Amino acid sequence: MTPLYRIEIDRSLCSGFGACVDEASDAFRLENGTAVAVATSSDPRVLAAADACPMGAIVVSAIRQDAA
Amino acid sequence: MKADPTFWLIARASGLTAYTLLTASVLAGLVLKSRPFRSLRPAAVTDTHRFLALLGLAAVAVHGAALLLDSTVRLTPLALVLPGAAGYRPAAVAAGVIAAELMLAVYASFSLRTRIGVRNWRRLHWAAYAIFAAATVHGLAAGTDTSRPWAFSLYLAALGSVVAAAAWRALAPPTLERRRPA
Repeated sequence: MTPLYRIEIDRSLCSGFGACVDEASDAFRLENGTAVAVATSSDPRVLAAADACPMGAIVVSAIRQDAA
Repeated sequence: MKADPTFWLIARASGLTAYTLLTASVLAGLVLKSRPFRSLRPAAVTDTHRFLALLGLAAVAVHGAALLLDSTVRLTPLALVLPGAAGYRPAAVAAGVIAAELMLAVYASFSLRTRIGVRNWRRLHWAAYAIFAAATVHGLAAGTDTSRPWAFSLYLAALGSVVAAAAWRALAPPTLERRRPA
């Protein structure tokens, strides 16, 4: 049971606070003051990263509930 | 002949206004972190948090300028920037000077966060608690309205609300769900 999460960042909202990188450094990084994310991740910390974003710029969607 | 009290009145009013705006900004920051109201858009809360801090800094500037122009407590420009240099209640005024300078540093650090590093900026942001504490001490100990029930109630309400919101942030379990509806 490994959910897979799709990560989307609203670049018009992202202000480069970096809270997402602190929460899930494997999935997020800062480039030129803006957050960049991997497209998908099975790391549940991406949920915490989305929740920590002060701008609410990160949307995480569960796209698969079961591992292949 | 009695001195014109205009600048003294402005100094007192702007000091209390700055403290109220600082309190509101701190509360907005805590709301942003602990999200007790899930219907509020984070970006709107962040903008409100920053705008309140900017207004607070403007009120601090008016507070300092009015104290310079007034003759009641006779502060020098140096006393407004150097903690402990004031002749009037030096320790209490120093707390206000430190709060104001730290507040300016924390506000400015937002624009400098890519230069100083996002982690350093976030570490510096913890100074907000020290700023609020120093401003509270300053208001209570240097303010001449502290003994009035309405002013003391204001300090008590500000302190109580920030302590309660900080406790909520520290104790409330984190909520992780933020998923787009299927």
